Amino acid sequence: MTKISGGHLVAKYLKEAEQVTHVFTISGGHIESILDGLTEYGLKTIDVRHEQAAAMMAHAWSVYTNTPGVCLVTAGPGFTNALTGIVNAHLENVPLVVLCGRHPIRDDLKGALQEMNQIDMVKPVTKWCATCYDTRRIPEYLAIAFRQATMGRPGPVFLELPPDILFAEIDGGSSPVVPRRRHKTATRPIQADLEAAARIINAAQKPVLLGGTGIGLSDCGPALKAFVEKTGIPFALINYGRGVLPDDHPLSLSEGGFTGITSGLPVADVIVAVGIRFNWVLQSGQLFPNAKVIRIDIDPHELDRNQTATVGLEGDAGTVLDLLLPLVDKRDHGQWVESFRRAYTAFMTTELEKRRTPSDPIHPSRLVAQIMEVFGTDAYYVADGGDTTYYGLSGFSSVHRAGVQIPAGGLLGCLGTGIPFALAAKLAHPDKPVIVLNGDGSFGFNSMEFDTAVRHNIPIICVVNNDCAWGMIKHSQEISLGHDRCTCADLGMRHYEKMVEGLGGYGEIVTKDEEIIPALKRAAASGKPACVNVVTDPTVTSQATILFYQSFSEL
Amino acid sequence: MRLKVLLFGLYWLLWFSSKTNASFKKFIRKSKVRLMIRTADGQFARLFVFDQGKITTAVGPHHAFDAALVWKDAKTAFSVMLKQNMEAFFYAAADGKLKIEGMPVYAQWFDAAMKHI
Ligand SMILES: Cc1ncc(C[n+]2csc(CCOP(=O)(O)OP(=O)(O)O)c2C)c(N)n1
Repeated sequence: MTKISGGHLVAKYLKEAEQVTHVFTISGGHIESILDGLTEYGLKTIDVRHEQAAAMMAHAWSVYTNTPGVCLVTAGPGFTNALTGIVNAHLENVPLVVLCGRHPIRDDLKGALQEMNQIDMVKPVTKWCATCYDTRRIPEYLAIAFRQATMGRPGPVFLELPPDILFAEIDGGSSPVVPRRRHKTATRPIQADLEAAARIINAAQKPVLLGGTGIGLSDCGPALKAFVEKTGIPFALINYGRGVLPDDHPLSLSEGGFTGITSGLPVADVIVAVGIRFNWVLQSGQLFPNAKVIRIDIDPHELDRNQTATVGLEGDAGTVLDLLLPLVDKRDHGQWVESFRRAYTAFMTTELEKRRTPSDPIHPSRLVAQIMEVFGTDAYYVADGGDTTYYGLSGFSSVHRAGVQIPAGGLLGCLGTGIPFALAAKLAHPDKPVIVLNGDGSFGFNSMEFDTAVRHNIPIICVVNNDCAWGMIKHSQEISLGHDRCTCADLGMRHYEKMVEGLGGYGEIVTKDEEIIPALKRAAASGKPACVNVVTDPTVTSQATILFYQSFSEL
Repeated sequence: MRLKVLLFGLYWLLWFSSKTNASFKKFIRKSKVRLMIRTADGQFARLFVFDQGKITTAVGPHHAFDAALVWKDAKTAFSVMLKQNMEAFFYAAADGKLKIEGMPVYAQWFDAAMKHI
């Protein structure tokens, strides 16, 4: 009988039952047996430089591939370092499978190396967490983990695997790896509610569909396309739903960015909200106080959160849109769509002007426009930072699912997510350009991952929007405290491009408008992970900062 | 002319509310906003300066602003502003009769402030 160790059994299960191809990790003695299993079974390991990045990359892998990302971290500090990434995935409802080392069961309460109560710490921020105590049950625990991560409303799960069970060997046949079926449990709204929703949609004069992560996770492009094209409803997609229908679709409102969405919503008479939460990003629903609201969500608790739905439809986004399709009328809201576009163009007078006009010092909106000029919509964009995320969200446009992401703009508001997201995007789509626009502050959190990029040949292009400051915070402080009392907000001029060069990548600094495009082209042509460090106007404040400041000043 | 009177009246309304209206006072107490309202030809132009609760004004198109509502002509400005509703503003923008220069978020702030009056 062939023997197999617990660690190898983990790898065998990941490969054979779940078809996992990539595992994001940092090594550690406690998990060595799993790492060796990954080699044995030919899974690709992306070994990073900080466990936070491993969790964030696995999270982003879920987003870009629509299959659950797997990260493997060691006990103790590996776990605590990964925690930020786990919390982020929890708040974004992303299927993330975290496999974690643990001190040996044998050494419980003895003061073992890296002994700590990981389970209690991780419990509130996972859908499911457990410790496996028996080598034979490893496949069963992993199966539960994957099902928990992906079924219903997705989320992160955490499985602790002590070395006692990972190093133990069992008879290979005694714990078979059986691929589990993914049971799609279709929750169906009652017919009366579907009909009520259809009546509202059919009577609408100025409807807007807002779609969020639920649309991305449901991967319901065809259902959404059929629905908006039949009803004629213009749509704006955000978070992981962005790009499920491309930004250049005739009914897409994405090109207006943040200003576009906020300028038209108060006038809308019907909002169809699909897989999108009414949290702070949507100002808790206050953006459309007078509209009838149809809310579609896989989690029934979201249907009335912060604003009572006129009609709430529980279920998977695509399934519910399919159910609505035969009930809705064919409509043409062309005039309304045109008005919406013209109105936000009038609202964006200055922003559009800034994009068109060369600037000295370089205006961040201009920088984004120049990046778009080089890479166009057939690329993946990520923006990370404070003010920087506003410029990225407004100016980037892509035809791809999740083609424009601002992970720091989510519920955790976590800076440093940009580089891990870009790396995962490039791994998932190696044939497309991947550009991350990074605030200089945010760049610092995970910039050591350029070493990961070089080692694994992941040629992302990072453009640093370098205002020599924690811009969003500095500008808020300038407004609230005054220019002379800004605290912990300055960073100074740093040559981030040289740092990347030092790690084996490509680097350039840009200070002049006319140099932006040639530098970006050279960076792309280098074929290396690249950093173009662009010195931008430190006095420019984004609209997001004004809103951020105002929300605090109303307290 | 009617627009001139309306803008001047608006200033007095804002100033008066900043002294007497508690919720308006609270809304504007920490904000520094320079909002310009003017016609495209610059014939009518008034700046409203909100400075942490204090409101002042200045006439003329050449002042620095955070956001400016730029109206095609005085007549449209007068009739839309008198309606005081978001929809009228939206359609004025959609019809090319209004554009917002600077940061629209400040115009939205101004709209929110007016709801307290
Ligand atoms: C991990 C983390 N630490 C701190 C913050 C608080 N924070 C929000 S915005 C910001 C400034 C961001 O500066 P930068 O990345 O340079 O982008 P900019 O605003 O200049 O575009 C900070 C520190 C945060 N959101 N996340």
